[in-house]
Amino acid sequence: MGNKQTIFTDEQLDAYQDCTFFTRKEILRLHGRYHELAPHLVPMDYTKDPDCKLPLALIVNMPELKENPFRNRIVESFSEDGMGNLSFNEFVDMFSVLSEMAPRELKAIYAFKIYDFNVDNYLCKEDLEKTLNKLTKEELTPEEVELVCQKAIEEADLDGDNKLSFADFENMITRAPDFLSTFHIRI
Amino acid sequence: MDSDPQGLSMVYDDPEGNGYLGDQPSLRSQQASSRASNQNHPQFNWSSTPAEKDEEDGGGPPRDLRSSPLPMALKRAVRQVQQMQVPVVSSRESWRRNKAKSLRKLKDSIRGFLYFFALWRKTLQKIGGNFGGGVQSFFLFLRFLVVLNFVSFLLIAGFVLIPSIVFRSVGTHLVNSTGKEECMQYDPNPQGLVLFYNYFLDLLSGTGFMEYSYMFYGYYNNTLVEDRNFSYNIPLAYLFTSFFYFAFCFICIIARMGTAARVAVATGGSAVGNYSMIVFTSWDYGCLGDQATKLKQKNIHYRLQVDLEEESLKKRAAALTTKQKVILYSLRVLMSLVSFGLIIGAFYAIFLATEFSQGKSGQQGIMGLIYEYLPSIVITAGNFVVPLLCDQIALVEQYAPSTTVIVALFRAVFLRLVSLGVLLFTLWSQITCEGDKTDKKCELCYYNYKNYQCWETRIGQEMYKLTLFDLLINIAVLILVEFPRRMVVDNWSCKLAQWMGRQEFVVPANVLGLVYGQTVVWTGALFCPLLPLINTVKFVILFYCKKITLVHNCRPALRTFRSTTSAFFFLVVLAVGWGLATVVLVYSVAQIHPSMGCGPFRFSPSMWLIVPTTFNSLSETTKEFLFFIGSQAFSIPLCVLSGVVLCYFASLASVYGNSVALLRAQLKLEGRDKQFLVKQIEMLGQQLHISKPSTGAQD
Repeated sequence: MGNKQTIFTDEQLDAYQDCTFFTRKEILRLHGRYHELAPHLVPMDYTKDPDCKLPLALIVNMPELKENPFRNRIVESFSEDGMGNLSFNEFVDMFSVLSEMAPRELKAIYAFKIYDFNVDNYLCKEDLEKTLNKLTKEELTPEEVELVCQKAIEEADLDGDNKLSFADFENMITRAPDFLSTFHIRI
Repeated sequence: MDSDPQGLSMVYDDPEGNGYLGDQPSLRSQQASSRASNQNHPQFNWSSTPAEKDEEDGGGPPRDLRSSPLPMALKRAVRQVQQMQVPVVSSRESWRRNKAKSLRKLKDSIRGFLYFFALWRKTLQKIGGNFGGGVQSFFLFLRFLVVLNFVSFLLIAGFVLIPSIVFRSVGTHLVNSTGKEECMQYDPNPQGLVLFYNYFLDLLSGTGFMEYSYMFYGYYNNTLVEDRNFSYNIPLAYLFTSFFYFAFCFICIIARMGTAARVAVATGGSAVGNYSMIVFTSWDYGCLGDQATKLKQKNIHYRLQVDLEEESLKKRAAALTTKQKVILYSLRVLMSLVSFGLIIGAFYAIFLATEFSQGKSGQQGIMGLIYEYLPSIVITAGNFVVPLLCDQIALVEQYAPSTTVIVALFRAVFLRLVSLGVLLFTLWSQITCEGDKTDKKCELCYYNYKNYQCWETRIGQEMYKLTLFDLLINIAVLILVEFPRRMVVDNWSCKLAQWMGRQEFVVPANVLGLVYGQTVVWTGALFCPLLPLINTVKFVILFYCKKITLVHNCRPALRTFRSTTSAFFFLVVLAVGWGLATVVLVYSVAQIHPSMGCGPFRFSPSMWLIVPTTFNSLSETTKEFLFFIGSQAFSIPLCVLSGVVLCYFASLASVYGNSVALLRAQLKLEGRDKQFLVKQIEMLGQQLHISKPSTGAQD
């Protein structure tokens, strides 16, 4: 119905539909958003799968991410090179995981990556302190930060190594009823 | 001594499983190298066959791909490979797969269609982004009620209203019957000339021109149409539509509760794990805008402070001496009695006001209007004053902050719903002379025919007045209290204004108001069939009023309401309101004698008795079938079967609960095993290191 779009081939749209939680319309809309971030860099015609990556600075300026204290970590977790440069594939992937239909396990995996600031596959005390400071905009006193981080690790750490592995994190997330609704960006 | 990463990989290596966990050794060994390597993502296990994967999940490969934590390019490559690998399956299996695929496509297209039709979607998104999940859950609840009321109105219109209009315009087929002449007098039409402003007063109180109209029960006739191949029984339709309306509302509430309950049960509702949950799950990623973000941060800060404070309070409470504890508990009991006494006082005031108002009914003019609205005024005043006083009492009781909130909520719910019950009880005692059939007034017609020629219409009018008054009060508060308050706070910089601060949008109080309004509508739907339509319009107006006040006058609450558990709680309170309305419905259908001068049940001793009379006129086979279903031979085996199924599900649930607890314990043990093994490896490494130099020295 209406105009036949020439941004993606039908094959590509099917692939995107099967690999993400978006419908065709939403994928085209996402492409529009991606394009307007850098109109001169992003081609309108994606039928040949062009290799185009947008830098971190452009992506974190999106209104949905601009005020998020974890915006840099979010974009870095989804970029292949770990520096925050997103191709369109990774852009769609990011919003697919953060959409409301993604299951809890998938979101937990990426949440763990986001909060793991030093990328060592563990949430150690420094990671927690950084998270807390970003959350409260450094309004807590250092003693309070220390206390909260210590209590948080005590509560969630199951294997007693004073840092949270992915299993600890996931176990704690399953008991949090709000996780699915807060770890969600509407686009 | 240097720790051995390769040795660690012996412990952690998991060649078979999920790609993510098996990736750990390679990540840790690569940590020294630059971060700009392609190790940010787990590897995919190419060797696993698609057939294995399909057995695990019923949805086929595409569902598995969506939920796998692989980068997009990898997912597309996997999809291509899977599509090329045509698995050898039976024709039945491939038919099943194709059916599943087309079903999924259908579901997706339906989802896209409904997405287009969802009411107020963008507004709700904006509210959620700026004010948080708690406030958004209030507006979602309001939207649910609007849709529920509108669909119920369509039901009532289709089965009762439109047939009545059609039959009335075509010609009446009234069933006449002899009865007591005195009881059948009903004269709602006003005598003589009616002044213009009386129309306005009649609109507000449901009397006059509104009384004898499709609005109220009294206008409907006991029409019985029986053509050659078409028959329609209005009284039966009226009764069954009411029953079906109640059942439909209940099913909607339960269905919506189901999704909320699942989350609540899965998370176990444990209060432990507060700090870790606040740190990791409190940030709302959908938060938009600079203001909202700053407020969210202040909110989280406040929550952490409150939790730290609650901890210190608990420590202090545990350190109380016995004498102090005794004093505290006796104080709490005393305060509960005081608040209970306040609530009973409010009930008594409502009782007096209703009796007075019913006694003065029929008066004209503005005073008459005030007398009509007296019960509504007293109920609203009670619902405003008593919670305020109870809040002050709660300060003396010194419960923990979370307990205080719950106690205040229970008191408010009790007050609201039971005050409505008191109003209905007063009306009942007046209509049926307190159930005493031998009382002088009720002897002739089994109800107080002198004051209530058409008692159902009177009850309908009371419910109509309550609904209207609720809406008027909300609009009045918006215009007269909230806007001026904001203007005072914004423009006047004196200390009092700053201390008062802007309005806070208190979610629980607003939700209770909605539940109260909906309970009133349910109670009155039998007597005022157009009430669901009026309620739909009222709730739509309320939505826009609340949205305006939220955006312009309110600051986001520092104490937030948890969105998932609170949605379940709202529905529970709504179900309690539904229960109250059902009690009223069942009692009035079964016990009270319908008015003989008006309405579709005027010639039957009770509303329910229409059903057996119609039943007797059905064909023989239908009667036998229905008798069989109602008989013991059918219902007892059915009950036994339901009992067995229930036991099965209960035992299944307990088995799952047990296995969850066991798995958690196993997880802990495995962690400790890991630690033990790591320590062993370190010791062995040390021993090797010590023995090596000694062997080297020998050479």
